[in-house]
Amino acid sequence: MARLLADYFLARRRPFFGFDTDPHESPFAVRFPGLVEVADLATVKGQIALFDQLLRRDATPRIVDVWARSWSGFLKITRETGLVEEARRLDIEPVFLLVVDDAGAWIDAANGLLAQWPDLRLVLARNHGLAAGVDTSAHFPGLRDFDIAGLDPIVAQAMERPELSLSRFLVAPPVEMSIVVRTALRAWVLGVFTQIQAYELRVAMDERGGR
Amino acid sequence: MKPAVILVGADKGGVGKTTVSRVLLDYLAASNVVARAFDTESPRGTLKRFHPGLTDIVDVTHTPDQMKIIDTLNSAGAKVSVIDVRAGQLGATLRALKEIGFLDAAREGQFTFVVFHILGPSISSLDEIAETAPYVSDANYFLVKNFINDTTFFEWDPATYASYFKKIKHAGDVTIPKLNEMAYEQVELAGVPFSTFVANQTAEGDSAKYSFVLRGYARTWFRNISAEFDRVGLLALLGAKLVKR
Repeated sequence: MARLLADYFLARRRPFFGFDTDPHESPFAVRFPGLVEVADLATVKGQIALFDQLLRRDATPRIVDVWARSWSGFLKITRETGLVEEARRLDIEPVFLLVVDDAGAWIDAANGLLAQWPDLRLVLARNHGLAAGVDTSAHFPGLRDFDIAGLDPIVAQAMERPELSLSRFLVAPPVEMSIVVRTALRAWVLGVFTQIQAYELRVAMDERGGR
Repeated sequence: MKPAVILVGADKGGVGKTTVSRVLLDYLAASNVVARAFDTESPRGTLKRFHPGLTDIVDVTHTPDQMKIIDTLNSAGAKVSVIDVRAGQLGATLRALKEIGFLDAAREGQFTFVVFHILGPSISSLDEIAETAPYVSDANYFLVKNFINDTTFFEWDPATYASYFKKIKHAGDVTIPKLNEMAYEQVELAGVPFSTFVANQTAEGDSAKYSFVLRGYARTWFRNISAEFDRVGLLALLGAKLVKR
């Protein structure tokens, strides 16, 4: 999801700052060298590198890829430092995007977030490839979600190629890629981008309307 | 509100005594209680560095300085006087206060007297509790476990723990949690009160550029300590109202 967001901004020629909280493999940082910084939340230095940057008052969006194993630490620091409250004081609106899966951990995560910040902008990203039968609205009827279609394994494999940039792919797909794969991947990426754009517009309208 | 004296002392250095005095001054200010402070680390006090506007440097065993503190308790604008007692001088200070009749006046209810006895993680530090006991029977006496490092206060040995911490029946206990080292160092460098640091301001009141993460750690730490002071009813002891935090 972090990759899709990053490519969404790149495709629109908009700058972004990214952070990868996985200090070991850092897949997000590896894919966007120079644009995504690794922040090890186990160290205060890493915490400063991430959280202090999130509160910069400029129009550049920040994308944080929270590694599963740093999720609880990320939340603890967010709570203890008062990140959400401070961000709002600075007119920065944090958006939490939770990836829905079959295991159900996302339900606890969403409940935890909403218990702490009932009016938080929380979006559920339901990937049919990961959570085919999950009905998010049954758990959280009021929450917005991104409905992400499942990918055929061959298309998914093509997308995982390290050198493949989704934003560049939309403009100039690799000639060696199968036309079938290209078409399927393009439709899939555009489907996700359309939902992100719709959400951005919705947030902008909310803000214009006072919320 | 009666005039009150809060004595913060330890017989050993390096146990975070001045940190407790600093956080007390912040707590009182946040509770709308006007306080003044005396730093007995003569001639150059650490407390004065952080709270220069509130703090005078004194030698509490010298008569002129005793007069400066005690004789002005009723007339000073600030009703609470925090005395940061130099390491190793807690016993001597209590003796001096007894000799000038302050402890008797406190017993008679003329003043509120509170003692925060900061403990270190050693048996000798715990032995101080017994040495202090004769002087604090009429004080609101608190044993302060300051977790400035990974200290344990013999909690792992219940017999030892009980033999010290249960020694003075009326003693309350206050726990000061550990503040993240980097946050502590940045406040030291800034040379401002914790509340000023949290508010991201310089000593002159200008906007500062302290790390948000470190301010956040300091904010949470201060909130927890305030809750601890609230728990032991410090404001009620001083005759002040509890404020909503």
